Amino acid sequence: MALTLPPEFSTPLSWPDQPGNGLRTSQGITRVLRIMLALALALWFLLPLVPLVLWAFADRWSFPAVLPQAWGWEGARAALAQGAIPAFGHSLLLGLLVSAIATPLGVLAARALAYHRVLFAPAVNVMLFAPLALPAFVAALGLNVLLLRLHVPPFAGVVLLLTVYALPYTSYVMRVAYGAHDLAVEEEARLLGASPWQVMWRVQLPLLAPALARAAFLAFLVGWSDYVITVLVGGGTIVTVPLLVAGAAAGTGNDATVALLSAAALLPPLVLLLGVGLLGRRPSGKPTAKSMNGNLP
Amino acid sequence: MRTKMATPSPAGPRTWLPGTLMVVPAVVLAAFVVIGGMVTALAQSLGLFPLVGPPSLTVAAYGAHAADLPVGIALSLAIATVSTVVACVVGFSAALIIVQGKWCGKLVAALGTLTIPVPHIVGAASISLLLADSGLLARLFNNGGQWPELVGGPWWIGVVAEYGWKESAFVALVVTGTLATRAVSYDETAALLGAGRLRRLRHILIPLSLPALTVSATIVFVYSLGSYEVAWLLGRAYPEPLPVMALRLFNAATLTSRPEAAAVAILTTVLSMAAVAASLAYLRRSALWR
Repeated sequence: MALTLPPEFSTPLSWPDQPGNGLRTSQGITRVLRIMLALALALWFLLPLVPLVLWAFADRWSFPAVLPQAWGWEGARAALAQGAIPAFGHSLLLGLLVSAIATPLGVLAARALAYHRVLFAPAVNVMLFAPLALPAFVAALGLNVLLLRLHVPPFAGVVLLLTVYALPYTSYVMRVAYGAHDLAVEEEARLLGASPWQVMWRVQLPLLAPALARAAFLAFLVGWSDYVITVLVGGGTIVTVPLLVAGAAAGTGNDATVALLSAAALLPPLVLLLGVGLLGRRPSGKPTAKSMNGNLP
Repeated sequence: MRTKMATPSPAGPRTWLPGTLMVVPAVVLAAFVVIGGMVTALAQSLGLFPLVGPPSLTVAAYGAHAADLPVGIALSLAIATVSTVVACVVGFSAALIIVQGKWCGKLVAALGTLTIPVPHIVGAASISLLLADSGLLARLFNNGGQWPELVGGPWWIGVVAEYGWKESAFVALVVTGTLATRAVSYDETAALLGAGRLRRLRHILIPLSLPALTVSATIVFVYSLGSYEVAWLLGRAYPEPLPVMALRLFNAATLTSRPEAAAVAILTTVLSMAAVAASLAYLRRSALWR
């Protein structure tokens, strides 16, 4: 496994309201305890990201001081000097390529498993989920020699391995989506004279858009976050943001660079996460569409 | 639901053809990487796939670090176990708060979702800036240089903290996904029938989330067992968890170290597969699956 990702998530601040009638609401001391637990959990999730923000723009922050003594752009300057811009380019390319390959493959496999007869379907299911059980470093370490002998370019090898490690997520998300998708809608469109092409673009795609966006986002994250496959199969020729962060963090005295690179590494996926949430919240806009999208939490 | 859906192709001698062709690209790639990766790692560990020279079958690589391997196995299992327990306890509590709704649920859900896109190496770097002896917490609770060795120390606190932090968000969102659909109505019914908070937790919320919790715990365990970068950055030089040991040997200059690295990788795979098999057996036996 290269990364653990929840197949179902909602964009921050848009989690659906639970239907409530007061039966389950807490009162008195339990209410206080519940709020305290919620605040403790909020702190648990937020705290590790706090030093990133403080350090990113700290030019001087010697030990006992609780807050930085001098703010500035020293971290940014050092990050740029270490090749942050090409590294961002490589990371983006890797994420987008993995997403562009693993999403259609996941869609095809999920649609086949949902609607068609597939030979050895149980074995196919096992194979699609198998990457979750194999540590990524084992596959990278084993295949490294084989890919070298087959003269596969390092970048192609990295994309291949990461695509496979994204497949469990894309195929699972699309499998759930096809489970809730009603083929009768597609048949009705055909009956009313739509061509197969029109059915795909004007019926299937809008209905599946939220799931497609989620699958593509998860696959992007697999490519964007990877460290060990890029190191082993890339052989040091492909420098991505995680590699820069690791290099800077392994040294000493460049905390500002580490923090700035790390904080910058969070921005593209966060922007995409908000975009996925917006797409998921607007299931094609028609009043009937919401009832068809049973896969949304 | 599936009975209503017409299959696009009419019944005939080869109805399996379109469906099978559609899964072929994904399955071929997955098989190449998963089976190919395991076979090539095994072949390298047995000396059948040397970098240079003729292949010769030998199990010497498995005995080369006979003293370090048991320590590495124990350490890896311990880190994975403790991280999984932390992630499950915190993640399940967070899921309970999230399904309760209200502003606290939304806050926890939003912050948990924010940690999902954090790469593990970034998480490790942040934990280091937070917990190291010159980190933020040491500055906040400055007690005269008495800060415990959380990063690179003998108890691997930093490593467990990183896995626990990031994977608790994963567990929380997976469990929330299953609880949000069914648990609320059951919970309300039980409350209406007079069940107290603890009895509802024991008889409704825990049983309903147990399948999702088991699956996510297995995924977290396998991940923290086989992950490299966090233990490498936040750990210490000796003893080494299995992935760190494997990558050090892999990058070592001597030619004999490649098979040794592959042997460590195969051991990690065996542990990982055993954990998955145990979990599947448990799910099947306890009839939690479907």
